[in-house]
Amino acid sequence: MRQTDARTMSFINLFAVLGALPSLCELSDEAREIIAGKTISLGIEVKGGPAGVLHFDNGRITVTEGCGKCDIKLPFKNPEKFNGMIDGTVTPIPSKGFTKIGFLLGPFIKLTDLLSKYLRPGKEDLKDEQFYRTSTLLMFHVITGAVSQIGNEDKVGKASASYIVDGNVRMAITENGEVLTAAHIAAKDHHLTTVHTDTDAPMSLMEFEGVHNARGLFDGVASSFTLICDGKLRMGGMISQLDNINRILDRVGLYLA
Amino acid sequence: MHPIYTFDKSMELIRRAMNVIPAGIYGHLGPAEGCHIPIDAYPKYCDRAKGSYFWDVDGNRFIDYMCAYGPNILGYNDPDVDEAAARQREKGDCTTAPSPVMIDFADLMVDTVKSADWAFFAKNGNDVTSLAVMTARAHTRRKKIVFFKGYYHGVSPWTQKIDYAGIMPEDVMHNIYVDWNDADALREVFENNRGQIAAVIGQPYMHGNFADNILPAQAFWQTVRKLCDENGTILIVDDVRAGFRLDLAGSDHYFGFEADLICFCKAIANGYNVSALCGKDFLKTTVSGLSYTGSYWMSAVPFAAGIACIEKMKRIDSPRILIEKGEKLKTGLIETATKHGLDIHVSGVPSLFYLRLADDPSLMLHQRWISECVRRGVYFTNHHNHFINAALSDEDIRETIEIADEAFTAIGK
Repeated sequence: MRQTDARTMSFINLFAVLGALPSLCELSDEAREIIAGKTISLGIEVKGGPAGVLHFDNGRITVTEGCGKCDIKLPFKNPEKFNGMIDGTVTPIPSKGFTKIGFLLGPFIKLTDLLSKYLRPGKEDLKDEQFYRTSTLLMFHVITGAVSQIGNEDKVGKASASYIVDGNVRMAITENGEVLTAAHIAAKDHHLTTVHTDTDAPMSLMEFEGVHNARGLFDGVASSFTLICDGKLRMGGMISQLDNINRILDRVGLYLA
Repeated sequence: MHPIYTFDKSMELIRRAMNVIPAGIYGHLGPAEGCHIPIDAYPKYCDRAKGSYFWDVDGNRFIDYMCAYGPNILGYNDPDVDEAAARQREKGDCTTAPSPVMIDFADLMVDTVKSADWAFFAKNGNDVTSLAVMTARAHTRRKKIVFFKGYYHGVSPWTQKIDYAGIMPEDVMHNIYVDWNDADALREVFENNRGQIAAVIGQPYMHGNFADNILPAQAFWQTVRKLCDENGTILIVDDVRAGFRLDLAGSDHYFGFEADLICFCKAIANGYNVSALCGKDFLKTTVSGLSYTGSYWMSAVPFAAGIACIEKMKRIDSPRILIEKGEKLKTGLIETATKHGLDIHVSGVPSLFYLRLADDPSLMLHQRWISECVRRGVYFTNHHNHFINAALSDEDIRETIEIADEAFTAIGK
């Protein structure tokens, strides 16, 4: 089913797309420099949608759910308006923190522009191996983040999540036995939470060998069956979890296309 | 000690297949759906088969507990079935007018299956589960179908779920899902959908994947039967997988109730391609009026094979011997696992057993053990129930337990 909804998209935009800012700062010196020395929190509250706070702390970012205490607050009348901000068609107006608007117009915009550059790269950019690598690792975290939002909010995604048994779904990109990056999706009572770190207690696992194979799958140009046969995509554990996560991944492509 | 198999030729072939066949091997026999974990521990292609064995293209011999996922019930290339098929092939197979052997087969099905007054033949299980649902809808003029969660009734859109690729919400909008063995939930569904439920469809017991199989609770099926009768709803038993491995008279007979419609395939003709929907007399006119047919559905060779297969199954009382063999294997596997300090669960009816090492809920330990068995020549799967065939000997069972023992040692290292 190709139908998507603005509300689910707003959850993806807040917790998977902006939710990838912490990973961006871990992967990119440039990102860390943009917010070096800044300690500030930015709250986003979407009526009929998600709420969260981005905490910037001297080159490091964390994201928390719920719009509690924050220095700058951006309210949105509906999910469509918030999605518009992410698309660059809506200019947000803070309800709190006018004196700190410089952060919003300066470092924050620079940071989100850098995020866009990595998530929607030009062909030339991808010829740079380091850029390709960072872009792919970042995509991995956006995708794993989006899985939980779709599983919790999207009508069809919720159907998939309703069949997922409890436990951690480990996803990782490896290279010659070394883990390049990992995340896990914690399933509990059919609610999904993406944690952008590895887990030593997986109920199931999906490992991509090498950034090029991972990217091929993310871009839809590689066949998962070929990769499985070549041992470049490894799966194990509670396969019913992965079956349903794969159905949600199918919808991630719809939302993030 | 058994040698450790390798699968170089198999892997070479599947890479070649990938160029011209979607997924190389699509569906349940393929490495993805077939859960070949790890990928290089399983054969991909069969060279030949006989009795309870198949040999892969690398020359490895397997004691086969999947039996082509059910069809092999008497042993591969059973001489009696093959001879009957060969005799019919000489006379004709796919012809403009069907052979009278079709009537002989229908007569035999009606004589064999307790709830059957007629038989309608097709090719695959999915053909007849779909026909059963169409029949129920045509007869009742209602839309809704009740399923038991964890079901598998084929691959037509109505059997799939809203989140599956290629499925529209409209395909499954009349599906209602209730938990297996939950008679109260089913009663509530009937109360909330009065006059709207065309059919309840269920496998005789819950043999879903990745979980221990669950037999019907005491009086569960009898309650389902009663609720269907009270509500004018058709009761469909999908006996495609379990059929003839529990009871030649039908798995509904085994569990002490009668279906209105019962679907067979897999073991019905020992691997020859035929399926059957059997039903009660009151539905015969309805089925007659449906637009439902296929190019090969009246081929005579599979009918002849089916007759020979069912007659032989009756002669040897196959459900009893399959259950006895399964019981023997179950006992041996449990004793061996216990010796290694492991807790193996063997669930379902022994002729159709499901295996799970319960020491690791993620099934990763189980997957390792199964792969070590396969590498040594015992073809188990890590996700699906298994199948016993009548050609399986005591010596095969002894060797299986020996290999299981070696595999337990391998995963303990």
